[in-house]
Amino acid sequence: MAKEVLTLDNGTTCSSWNYSGTRLAAGSADGTLSIFDSRDPPSSSSLRLSFKSKVHEGNIVKIVWVPPAYGDAVACISVDGIVSLLEEVVEDSQPLQWKICKCFGSSSDKVLDVQFGISLASLKMVAAYSDGHMKVFELLDPLELKNWQLQAEFQNVIESVSSFGKAVCLSASISFNPQNGGSQESSFLVGFNSNTSELNSAKVWEFDQAHQRWLPVAELAVPEDKGDQVYAVAWAPNIGRTYEIIAVATHKGLAIWHLGLNPDHDGRLPVERVAVLSGHDGMVWQMEWDMSGMTLATTGQDGMVRLWQSNLNGVWHQQAAFEPTS
Amino acid sequence: MPSDTVGNGVLVPFSGEGSDSVAVYPLNHGLSLPISRVAISWSRGNSLRVSLFAEPSATSPDSQASGAKVVEVKLSGEDPEISDSNWRRIAYGSVTPFALLQSRRSSLAALSKSPSPYHVDWWEHVLEYSKDIASLLGGPKLSPGPIIEDPNAIATKCEEPTCLKAAWELLEMFYVDKRSQAWLPERLVDWLADFDSLFTSTHETIHGKLVNFQKELVNIQVIEDDPRYWEVMSSALSVGWLDIVVKMLRLHGSYQLDQLSSRERENGLVEVVAVLISKMPRLRPESAVENLGECFKSKPDFIKAWEKWRSQITKLDCSPFWIQCDNQQTCDGLRNLLQIMLGNTESLCTATCHWIELYVSHFLYIRPFTTGIESMYNLAQKCMQLKPPSSIHKLTGLMIGILGENTEVVLAECSREFGPWMVAHAVELLTAGSEQAEVLLHDEHYNLGGISIVELHRLAYAQVLSSHALTWQIAPIYLTSCMKQGMGLLENLLYRQSVQHNDTLLKNIEICRLYELDHISSKIMKVAGVFHWKHGRKGAGVFWLQQAQDASCLGRIALQLFDAVGKSISDESFKQWEGIIELLGSESKPAGGLEFLHKYRDFKKSLQQVSGGKSTEAARQAVGSLILLMKNPSTPPRFWLPLLYDSLKLLNWKDCSLLTESETNLLLNKLQELSLARLRPHFTEPSLPPEALSSVRLALATNLGRAILDE
Repeated sequence: MAKEVLTLDNGTTCSSWNYSGTRLAAGSADGTLSIFDSRDPPSSSSLRLSFKSKVHEGNIVKIVWVPPAYGDAVACISVDGIVSLLEEVVEDSQPLQWKICKCFGSSSDKVLDVQFGISLASLKMVAAYSDGHMKVFELLDPLELKNWQLQAEFQNVIESVSSFGKAVCLSASISFNPQNGGSQESSFLVGFNSNTSELNSAKVWEFDQAHQRWLPVAELAVPEDKGDQVYAVAWAPNIGRTYEIIAVATHKGLAIWHLGLNPDHDGRLPVERVAVLSGHDGMVWQMEWDMSGMTLATTGQDGMVRLWQSNLNGVWHQQAAFEPTS
Repeated sequence: MPSDTVGNGVLVPFSGEGSDSVAVYPLNHGLSLPISRVAISWSRGNSLRVSLFAEPSATSPDSQASGAKVVEVKLSGEDPEISDSNWRRIAYGSVTPFALLQSRRSSLAALSKSPSPYHVDWWEHVLEYSKDIASLLGGPKLSPGPIIEDPNAIATKCEEPTCLKAAWELLEMFYVDKRSQAWLPERLVDWLADFDSLFTSTHETIHGKLVNFQKELVNIQVIEDDPRYWEVMSSALSVGWLDIVVKMLRLHGSYQLDQLSSRERENGLVEVVAVLISKMPRLRPESAVENLGECFKSKPDFIKAWEKWRSQITKLDCSPFWIQCDNQQTCDGLRNLLQIMLGNTESLCTATCHWIELYVSHFLYIRPFTTGIESMYNLAQKCMQLKPPSSIHKLTGLMIGILGENTEVVLAECSREFGPWMVAHAVELLTAGSEQAEVLLHDEHYNLGGISIVELHRLAYAQVLSSHALTWQIAPIYLTSCMKQGMGLLENLLYRQSVQHNDTLLKNIEICRLYELDHISSKIMKVAGVFHWKHGRKGAGVFWLQQAQDASCLGRIALQLFDAVGKSISDESFKQWEGIIELLGSESKPAGGLEFLHKYRDFKKSLQQVSGGKSTEAARQAVGSLILLMKNPSTPPRFWLPLLYDSLKLLNWKDCSLLTESETNLLLNKLQELSLARLRPHFTEPSLPPEALSSVRLALATNLGRAILDE
């Protein structure tokens, strides 16, 4: 039914494809990072191991590729919340190799998720921490992935005055607006799975150039669901719609949101929840939009891969599901 | 892993209407341990990559057992009836007709300046397009249905027809070809003759009967005594395969020379029936060469001929010759043929197998004067009741949709049964003549993000093309015909092509140039530039970054070069850097002070000469270069201090003062400016020892004193 592409070693815990689907990075429980490359362009099926090395003490739980305009680089997030940024580079007449160029996060200040976005022609890295804080870093030199500057630090709350106890977050999910990749200001989306209800709901953050700060411009939760823990968020590519489409997964199911492009007088973007879908029982692990932004693929605790689409009348439904069998 | 690839991986119809129950497909991975985690990633187009991670085996963590599988699932493939390579042939072949039709539409629209480009003769263009496409779906029609050449060969096997072609021709006949509207039933007769064999896989058909009978033919001694002989003939006659029936009648034993005299009367009857069959009037412009029957273009002539023919049959049916014929089998068989020609419902029903065959027989013998699509739907319903199908064949679903004049059903059937290629190309046929279909299919839907159904299906087809390395290059042709979202998807598609291989990269850039996607090509070139730069191919890196006009990266490279040129002046690698400086400098608009780098290189060279010997002349030359550099506005301020620091030896020249008073003042002024420039944001401190500034200042001050004294 499906074509096998690759077999990975025992203990592999996560994997991630690069922008063109020609390189695969895989992380293991013992902290090993492996890189596999396509041998030749027309066949994506034949991959060979080009790098394998231990980069972390702990289990690698997530790998994120840096946008290709900044080279071949990955961020590996370990289970103890440390992020290592590795880059494939030739330095000082040494052969091409993967090198760690930056590490951050600690067991006391764990990083839960990292995503990259290009904004105003510079690379931004957004990290979500276990205490409910977000940090936005900016790359100073486009050719050096070592030099990051902290641009902003804030919590995922709408009202900055609200106070709450010490937050404990289990997971976080960040998704950049995939369309902006040039000179415009970019925006991103973040939701937490925490014990603090104010932090949880998915919010859209946009950089306010005039005041040089990040502002929440939309909250993707209906009033009665605002405290719900968010498992995953995904911003759909927009190839020409007059609104954005965003998927948010909570324990109540998948919600599909329309996000307007024109802010109202408060600077907020209009939002509308167009569908609530149930499918995965329990946790949703990952949500991915296809390149047209018309089909959403999801995985979750039930072990299934599910595909979702909207029909001609705008009604979202499950189009198909895949069940792993041995 | 046993990867049981089904066909070409057809799994999910892309955009059929959602059914109530969700189809669940198995995803074979072959891992022995239970799955603990699944990761997904979309590749280009419709291919989804799924990583399945097994629970780590606690017993032996280092065991050789594989711990994860990565599989690729291609969604919404095409009709499995056709092989992958054949699909690609069709995909490539349909590009030209499609593009031609689009360009004709836009030029017509430009001419008429009306919102609807549909000209009265528009259908003729669509017909040409339709014929071009149809020719891809199968070779030239060989012989319509079974024929007899060799008297023993009743049905010859010609090129295997495909359902795809049958469906395409059905659409063409009902939606595009306006000339055939007057003789639609006859076209259906022809269509069935071409494609009756397609139903054989699931149903009993007349074609199947003929093929079986032909296999038996060699074993039959006296053909007219075999009931199957008469049965097969009545079946063939019922669907209008006149030539076959006539040829089969001539196989009758009474034609044999040794029997002619004893069976004269019987033979006469057989011949009369054969002649009547061959004289059957048909309402159609021209018959295919080998088809028998007399063709009439005008309806009144046809009606007249038909009535005359019918009266001849009735007369024969009532004639006394039948009593004089000794062979009962022949009599019964021939009279049954007459009943079919007289339109006896019962005989027709017995003679035909599939409801479509019965349907066609109705047009031939019961309702010969039907024209137009009206009442055709009701008749189809009636035939289906008389011969209820055991299962729905994909062509009958389509036919019901067409006869019911329901464009949405037709589209859904095309999509479900034949895949995205069919829908993307068939919409042109559906909209060829119908205002209503035109409105339905070109109306923009907010729920689809403001695109029309036509565009949606083109995008879906382009996604399918994009997911294969051998077809993605033709996706842009379909995407650029999508007014609203095609370019957006094209940008995403181009951006996801790997830049590692130069030929792919050049192809990408060419596509960008063709569709004026400059911002995408500069993005791609930047990715390529950074890729090469980081992978140690500095020249290629600089070249692509220059093509991308990425000033910020080039500026950074210039900085790195500055350091490198400064550090390694005596090294062999200086030559390599020199090459890049040449490359960087070749642009008419130097980026990030590259012009300066040339001068800096010259300065460094002369400095090198000075450091070797003690020649005052060489030192004077170096000072000349330094002054030129400091005077040049293209020299970035951040380089001023390093330049002066490098020149300390010149400033403190033992023998004499090398700088004049005014030159020294110029340098001092630059230092003053530098302290102001430092206050501005974005000023980068050069990496120099902390005492650099004070030592330069001291040297300049000393030099100023000496210069004044000298003068």
